[in-house]
Amino acid sequence: MSEFIKSKSVNRCRIGVDIGGTFTDIVLTSDGKPPLVKKISSTPENYASAVAEGIDALIKEEHIEPEEISDVVHATTVATNAILEGKGAHTGLITTKGFRDVLEFRRVRFPELYNLSYVKPRPLVERRDRLEVIERISADGSVRVILDETSVVKAALKLKGRGVAAVAICLLHSYINPTHEKRVEEIIRDIMPAGTFICSSYDVLPEIREYERTSTTVVNAYLGPVLSHYLLQLRKKLNDIKVTSPLYVMQSGGGQMSDSAALNLPAYFVESGPAAGVVAAAAIAKRAGLEQIITLDIGGTTAKTAIVEGGEPSRTSEYEVGAGVNLSSKLVKGAGYSIKLSFIDVSEIGAGGGSVVWFDDGGLMKVGPESAGSFPGPVCYDLGGEKVTLTDANLLLGYLNPMGLLGGRMKINREKAYSYVKQSVGDHLNLSAMDAAMGIFTVAVNNMVRAVKSVSTYRGRDPREFTLVAFGGNGAVLAAAIADELDITKFLVPSRSGVLSAAGLLAADTTNERVRYLFGVVGDLEDDLVLSAFDSLRVEASTQLLEQGFSPTEISNNMFADLRYRGQAFELTVPVHIHTPKLTEMMAHRFHEEHQLTYGHKSTDEQVELVSIRVSARVSKPKEVTVERKAKPTATFEKRMVKFKANCAEVETTILNGRENIDNKCICGPVIIEEYDSTIVVPPDWLAEVDGSGNLIVSKGRVSHDFKC
Amino acid sequence: MTSNVDPITLEVFQNALSSIADELALVIMRSAYSNIVRDSMDYSTAVCDCNGLTIAQGLTTPVHLGSFPHAMRSLIDAYEGKMSPGDVFIFNDPYEAGGMHLPDFYVIKPVFVQDRLEGYVATLAHQIDVGGIAPGGMGVFSQEIFQEGLRIPILKLFDKGQANESIFSLIKINTRMPESLMGDLRAQISACNTGEKGMISLVNKYDGNSFREHCEALHDYAEKIIRKQIAKLPDGKYKYEDYLDGVGENPEPIKFCVSINIKGDHVNIDWTGTSQQVKAAINGPLPTTHAMSYLGVRCAVATQMPNCEGYMRAISVTAPKGSIVNPFEPAACGARGIICFRMFDTLLGAFAQILPDRIPAANEGGSTAPHIAGRDVNNKPFMVSGGLMGCWGGNSSSDGVEGISNPAANLGNTPIELLESRQPIEITKYAFITNSGGPGCQRGGVALVRGYRLLEEAAELVVRSDRRSVLPYGLADGLPGTPSWNVIYSDGNQKLLPACPMESVPMKKGDEFIHYQAGAGGYGDPLDREPDKVLRDTMNELFSLDYAAEVYGVIIENEWVSEEKTAKKRKILRADKSHKDAYLQHFHKAIGVDFSNWKPHFANKS
Repeated sequence: MSEFIKSKSVNRCRIGVDIGGTFTDIVLTSDGKPPLVKKISSTPENYASAVAEGIDALIKEEHIEPEEISDVVHATTVATNAILEGKGAHTGLITTKGFRDVLEFRRVRFPELYNLSYVKPRPLVERRDRLEVIERISADGSVRVILDETSVVKAALKLKGRGVAAVAICLLHSYINPTHEKRVEEIIRDIMPAGTFICSSYDVLPEIREYERTSTTVVNAYLGPVLSHYLLQLRKKLNDIKVTSPLYVMQSGGGQMSDSAALNLPAYFVESGPAAGVVAAAAIAKRAGLEQIITLDIGGTTAKTAIVEGGEPSRTSEYEVGAGVNLSSKLVKGAGYSIKLSFIDVSEIGAGGGSVVWFDDGGLMKVGPESAGSFPGPVCYDLGGEKVTLTDANLLLGYLNPMGLLGGRMKINREKAYSYVKQSVGDHLNLSAMDAAMGIFTVAVNNMVRAVKSVSTYRGRDPREFTLVAFGGNGAVLAAAIADELDITKFLVPSRSGVLSAAGLLAADTTNERVRYLFGVVGDLEDDLVLSAFDSLRVEASTQLLEQGFSPTEISNNMFADLRYRGQAFELTVPVHIHTPKLTEMMAHRFHEEHQLTYGHKSTDEQVELVSIRVSARVSKPKEVTVERKAKPTATFEKRMVKFKANCAEVETTILNGRENIDNKCICGPVIIEEYDSTIVVPPDWLAEVDGSGNLIVSKGRVSHDFKC
Repeated sequence: MTSNVDPITLEVFQNALSSIADELALVIMRSAYSNIVRDSMDYSTAVCDCNGLTIAQGLTTPVHLGSFPHAMRSLIDAYEGKMSPGDVFIFNDPYEAGGMHLPDFYVIKPVFVQDRLEGYVATLAHQIDVGGIAPGGMGVFSQEIFQEGLRIPILKLFDKGQANESIFSLIKINTRMPESLMGDLRAQISACNTGEKGMISLVNKYDGNSFREHCEALHDYAEKIIRKQIAKLPDGKYKYEDYLDGVGENPEPIKFCVSINIKGDHVNIDWTGTSQQVKAAINGPLPTTHAMSYLGVRCAVATQMPNCEGYMRAISVTAPKGSIVNPFEPAACGARGIICFRMFDTLLGAFAQILPDRIPAANEGGSTAPHIAGRDVNNKPFMVSGGLMGCWGGNSSSDGVEGISNPAANLGNTPIELLESRQPIEITKYAFITNSGGPGCQRGGVALVRGYRLLEEAAELVVRSDRRSVLPYGLADGLPGTPSWNVIYSDGNQKLLPACPMESVPMKKGDEFIHYQAGAGGYGDPLDREPDKVLRDTMNELFSLDYAAEVYGVIIENEWVSEEKTAKKRKILRADKSHKDAYLQHFHKAIGVDFSNWKPHFANKS
């Protein structure tokens, strides 16, 4: 299939679509032409409609034939929304006798200490639909109790009678011996009506820890019918507009998967959108020669961060969907539904432009997590909002254009914001309106600093060795202040950062990740055995890509191993080069190094255990993420007074309308660069330059004119 | 609030401190060895100011709230002026060093900036075994602390950065599980080093004097929040009594009596009237009693507040010397966790009189901690441990939560598959028990059952459980929860064990130990429970059909509620109060335990 595309696509167009709750962004790239962008309202009743309509409109406007489109890649919130709104399928669960309640016990911890009114999230499968079968596998994989097939038939008939649309199967120790699960699956398939979504844990997540494996399998089943329906709809709508190219879906782990493969693994798409943003930022930074970055995506409600090392986004397998904001490395879990798959490790804090300012009982000022949203929004929108937000503070400080946002299309009311900040914050603290605004800004910045720390210092990484990549509507407004707090000296703002996620879709590789439980102590394990396990897993991982039509030469493989010290329970994942002599010894060596880096100590005399091996098969996509714009200098230099620091007077600051107005591609702060969908604040001791790809690179330490407090 | 510190900077400062405490906690969780630390998360971390006062605590387990003040005070008393950069201290003793019980190891590092002591980073982790008469340090039958294992006074584990290898060797030889303990100890040290770095950079950012000023301001701030909350409560004296079942074959109930005295914005928690200390390992040295008193107040009145010692200024604690909540040395205290839970229940029982809408009926009564230990054919030690929990009582607006940690502990469970892959044990079941929990308009959470089958030739079982005779209390006409049971099945015979056996129980290959935990108390009259909720519980097989009929008066036919029959049945039940104990018979029938000799002890009173 891919060969076919290559030969045919003389004028290849690629389309990336990011479907958000409010807007659907479409980016179209074609060889040698500037990319095209379209932003339209999403259609939550059927997300597929907006996608097809948007693509149709865009190609018609640009006179592109549907056949010229080589692939459509998209990120979707369908999976997340189904969970948040409780609109997944009526699902049944089959477990080992004695363990039907594992799903509901979870890990028994709860996320709100001291709260005696805490209410636990309802399990995705009600107890009545959690049925037990008689069987038991031991920890070593041996069969302790032979599968009683009659008990399976009984359970299947019961679920059939209840009319469930999906069935998840998770038996104890199936990660090491899946024979019972496979047989249960066969029997269930025979009995349930055609079209029932059925999945087993050995297939979805063959890893030790029964709660996490059960929960992941259940989420997968719960989403199965919803996602199938959506993908079939989308395919149909695309066919209607004669787009028949391959369709891909972005995975939470950063790769993408064909729609046919995605049908069976919906749990992989829960954080599709945020993953796309990180992949895009990583790709753009890599082109700019930056491989160590921390992404900073700040919108109206949340600030999201992720760390990228050596050009690769960091991943986690400890994710809970529906848990509200997801702070990486967080200690207290249990608020959502566990999915133990590979996710790009995005850390989230409830702080964005719309975050509301309030005071607690002890008189401390807080910003967020409540957000004023887009309606009524901040006070300055003048739509009836009466709660002071970060955006109001940003406006008073001079960071935002008092005449209006979105290129003047959205009017704002500075006087109103001023009087609200003065009355509800300033008077409370005995501060002027400007000092109050600075205070709001400082508190918000510090909330966001915590999100940056959680992906860096919490894991032994020094943020000073990283460049921030700022995007989202507010990323570049706050980037310099956040960088200052952490002694980070550089940040990058991609062009068209408002549609970065959509562009990022076109940068993602097609991947298929497989994991296998392979337990043993380094020293006892035979290198040949490990090598052959990697080989067979590699074949398994590639099969699906070959079925999608890629040729073996296009597929590359990355191998990883999960290791720990004997007795530890948390593994560290390290990359493995399988064609090195002393394979397992080298794996242990890498593990010691990673342990030292992450936890500050290693124990080279302790035994190291291998727990699982992983293979990520991938096909690289052309990295067309540049969304550079034609430079059309407008050359009208405005000035306004801007406050950059507490206890410092406001300074007269140059305002540029777009980065293309930077003379000689370089300008010293203080300067504010206003673009259509974002504003870049460059404080006095920072310097901004535009690189060859249109990225704005802002660095610290070159103090311009004699700016002093 | 101190005049020189503004509320904006203070908010920033507080965030920075909490992130250091959380970072310490994460290092421990991810690099620890024993399941008690890494899965149950029975550990805590703290950042303290230069006076040793806690200014931030890692969010792990509430029971450790307030576990650092005594420890820090004894450290400072012993070593003030004698600490140097690079020192790391270790101790566990509750009498000599302000500890909680011997398994809890404190590892604390003073933080110096330019040779001036600016504060401390502190960790506390429950170690899997510290020697002594019973595996896991939880032998209820110890009568003196000398039987409970290694006592460590305050020692320098590192002296100016130099490890004192003698201490490491001494500890290593005194535990049944050296690999685990040493791994967890390393994790604690590593966390301290990480925290030290974070704290130094914070002090540098604010410069020393201003840093101290901010710490002061933070204490004032926490105090202000809690005083505001306490002031909202009506002045008065609120009293409540609850009991532990007692220990051994013929247990004598142990009384807990608390008076909450509210006067303006101050509260006194007075334990006068509580039973004398006992000759079993369930005495709680004073630090424990303080920790639980603070926790009770905190849960009842102020959930959003920094974990900063300043708030303790609004709370005073009275605990008579020689009582079980303030025993004389050398009272044993290894299994003192159980009295923590009971103190918490007693406190909430008293607070329920002040805040009836906010306080739930009693929870399951605390974690059950079975330890099954021995040696395999190669003489290698094994130990199955990990607390079991739990469920909460019903409250004024919702049913009790089930399948959840006790609110005072928030400890996690250990994955069955991990347990089985490391220990010679088969978990035979882990499930909710049908017809369990206290009936109520908002019912109590249902109880859990877990079974353990031994796969090695022999082992010893030590178990600490409770709530067999004094049941978890109900509130507002809700009924008490269901009792707990310990049963061993050996060669087809059923043997009942006491809730707290005063000796270790031998197990042989194939024996199955089953623990049925207590179910939580109900809230409100069960006959007022919405029939549809009863239907759902029945469909979910949490209730049997006859239980729904006889306890709730709800008649279910063909998966529907018969409204007419239900109304009739409820009328009959309302007239005849004798049905009130029927739920206990249904419960015992469901688990197959012969309870003909059993009598509940309805002793709670306010």
